[in-house]
Amino acid sequence: MQIRFEHISKEYLKDAKVLDDVSFEIDAGEFVFLVGPSGAGKSTLVKFLIRDDLPTSGDVYFDNQSVASLTKEEIPALRRKIGIVFQDFKVLFSRTVFENVALALEVVDSPILVINEVVPNMLSMVGLSEFKDRFPQQLSGGELQRLSIARALAHEPDVLVADEPTGMIDPASSRQVMDLLEKVNAMGTTVLVATHDQATVDRMKKRVIGLEKGKVIFDKAKGTYNG
Amino acid sequence: MVNLSENIGQLKMTFKRERFLVVSTTITLFITFLVMGIFVGVVVLTQTGVKQLEEQAQITVFFKDDFSQEKILNLKEGLEKDARILQVTYVSKDNAYKIFSEINRNDPALREAISADILPASLEVKAKKIANLDALATEFGKVDGVEEVKFFKDVVDRFRFFSSVSYIIGAALIAIFLVISYAITSATLRTIINFKGAELEILKLVGASELYVKKPLVFQGIVFGLVGGSSAAAVLCTLYISVFFNLLKFNELTLVGFLPFKVNVFVFTAIFGVVIVLFGVLFGYLGSARAIKKYLVF
Repeated sequence: MQIRFEHISKEYLKDAKVLDDVSFEIDAGEFVFLVGPSGAGKSTLVKFLIRDDLPTSGDVYFDNQSVASLTKEEIPALRRKIGIVFQDFKVLFSRTVFENVALALEVVDSPILVINEVVPNMLSMVGLSEFKDRFPQQLSGGELQRLSIARALAHEPDVLVADEPTGMIDPASSRQVMDLLEKVNAMGTTVLVATHDQATVDRMKKRVIGLEKGKVIFDKAKGTYNG
Repeated sequence: MVNLSENIGQLKMTFKRERFLVVSTTITLFITFLVMGIFVGVVVLTQTGVKQLEEQAQITVFFKDDFSQEKILNLKEGLEKDARILQVTYVSKDNAYKIFSEINRNDPALREAISADILPASLEVKAKKIANLDALATEFGKVDGVEEVKFFKDVVDRFRFFSSVSYIIGAALIAIFLVISYAITSATLRTIINFKGAELEILKLVGASELYVKKPLVFQGIVFGLVGGSSAAAVLCTLYISVFFNLLKFNELTLVGFLPFKVNVFVFTAIFGVVIVLFGVLFGYLGSARAIKKYLVF
């Protein structure tokens, strides 16, 4: 397996567990929904995977490597293997669409020739080619999320993690974004989507892991939002 | 790794897109270094003044009439080799009379009443350190042929006290101004770095290394410090040269500020300008490196 969450617990305050002994595995090439109401612990698990936070107990393993035991210098390498898409897009408003996508390649020291070849391909894949010179404030919510996906995919990550990718966009744009994630998965990238968008989960018939009050309550292949 | 051309590229982008912030940061640093330089300059000038006054303090050794000029000049030669002594000037009886006449040029009756024979020959001795005057005066009093040693002990003692106090206060003020300047530089650079806070978080999330996040901002801090420091140094050097030009002789070596040796004023001003620029660069580096720290927590 590629990702393994092993007996993960998280307490921010004493006797107030956000996650309680959560364990599951994700194989390479899978498309997995992590579902549950707000506060169920979905985003916290995503943070553990990209080492943006640490569990109180338990560990996450990526390609059999303990994420918690990574040194400060090793964390960037982990994050380069994982493309991340956030609910609030997290794009740079001071940079153009092209420059935002190029950012993911610049941080890994890609040559300018590679950047000039990869970025147009990524923008074409997400349907933003004609907006390459625009700034993010000139884009709609759906376009911003597609820009965020293009940036997440630019350095060809092994895994794409999307945390509530449809949380701030309209239903039509949500569908476009999810179709795009499905296309990415079809190309071989593992996709993990944390969401509480029931309609999307029910429509896509993928593996669904349900979380509630910090515990895994179901894990079903071709599942729905409720199991 | 981020190379120099990429650093310059990012700096250009900052200049282009955050013009107001760049201009206000540069002006703030310029004013900070200018004010620091002016304060330091005032303290240095005070010390220069104190040293100039110290140089004027002297002992006058009067000789008995039967002590020959040859003996006095031999004694002078010996004193000039003494490490504690800065300068020895021989004033013959005739010269003493000339000085006396000049001082009393409006009183012919007094001038006529006194002849050159009455006035004693003397040596005027200036010490390198005012603290040595007391000991030298005592030693001169024991020399054969010496009639009287004149030395304003009370005045010199009081002057020594105020001179030491002014030295300590001056050094403390310079240290305080440096700390204040560093604090202002650091706070100003922190503002521009905090402005980019969200961007830095995103850089880390997409896999940027610590060096990738840190280097352009530290480079930026150094450039701001360099520009602020250089412009302040240019104004300060012009100001100093005009002040010194009116107070001191440019072509002579002079005791300046806290320096224990004599230096050409122009050279001193140039070095002072370079020091201000170096402090600009150093504060720019330290201030930005410190401000960026909180964004380097992975």
